Amino acid sequence: MIAQVILSLLLCSVLVYSWVEYRRSPAVAVSSFIASLAGLYFVWMPLHSTHVAKFIGIGRGADLIMYLWVCISLIVLLNLHLKLRSQHEVITALARAIALANASSATEAGLQSIEHETAIKSRAELASDASYKEPTMTVRTAAVDSTVL
Amino acid sequence: MQKSAVWVICPAFNEGATIANVVADLRRCRYNVVVVDDGSTDATRHEAAKGATAVVVHPVNLGQGAALKTGIDYALSQGAEIVVTFDADGQHRAENIARLVRALKQEHADFALGSRRLGQSRNMPFERRVFLFAATLFTVATTGLCLTDTHNGLRALTRRGASALSLRQNRMAHASEILTDIANSGLRYTEVPVTIDYTCYSLAKGQRTGDFMMILLDLFARKLHR
Repeated sequence: MIAQVILSLLLCSVLVYSWVEYRRSPAVAVSSFIASLAGLYFVWMPLHSTHVAKFIGIGRGADLIMYLWVCISLIVLLNLHLKLRSQHEVITALARAIALANASSATEAGLQSIEHETAIKSRAELASDASYKEPTMTVRTAAVDSTVL
Repeated sequence: MQKSAVWVICPAFNEGATIANVVADLRRCRYNVVVVDDGSTDATRHEAAKGATAVVVHPVNLGQGAALKTGIDYALSQGAEIVVTFDADGQHRAENIARLVRALKQEHADFALGSRRLGQSRNMPFERRVFLFAATLFTVATTGLCLTDTHNGLRALTRRGASALSLRQNRMAHASEILTDIANSGLRYTEVPVTIDYTCYSLAKGQRTGDFMMILLDLFARKLHR
């Protein structure tokens, strides 16, 4: 009797949990709801659980309930995982906001040297742009080769 | 299309060895370059700052998907008309960008996706080839897009296209997520041949083939909660 009461209390807390979680993840809430209802039923009707257990090929009703409990735990674990993910999304948003707020345009010196470089190269680049016709995939420039380690 | 309206996003995590060269190549082609330093522990941000138009630094490491999103947000806030995603490890070529941008314009598309199957990949290991083939099959089956290469980091997006991407997958599942978003947006997309150079460096930095289990898990978890 004592064990039944304790188990019932635990299962009721799972019921409450599933009700609370419904808004966030209906799939998790519904499955844990069903699982805990079944658990409650079997805690008070152990004989029925034995029938069901025998029917599906498990020796005792108690074993069946233990398996159910394991299933519920797994579902709750999955839900925790999802919760962690959504928390991580919040962290991402936060980090992104910080990153964008501190975004630095390149240093003046760096920009100028690049401008200088592009001024020199622009004529060659224009020529290569104009000569561009079809994607010729086999062409490989020396400049790219040098970046290949 | 004016090149000043093209913004190239380079997500970089500990790419100090290559980032300076990559940025210099891009700047030589006169694109705006945003390097998103994804919480690197090396000199990536200093190397990038030598040439990039802007450097955005994540205070912690969030993943490539998150870095792309940050870069896109920044570029759009700066008035970008075209956003290009470009890997920082040196496997993409700056010359290919012009081709992507041209394809956007000519085909009135909002997404131009690089394809190494239409183009060329140098030194791609056999294992990687099989893995990419499987990934392409999976993505084509789940999104219904008609593509030859679904996991190519080189893409060009119009402003409208970039705004249609949700990019909530922080880690590597973002490549599949982008395609799902493209399919859902109903906007036009096109594929463009590009060349990918596989080097020892880029292979070491890139995906492990075993990572696909994590990617599948990420995609599955995404479907479970809002």
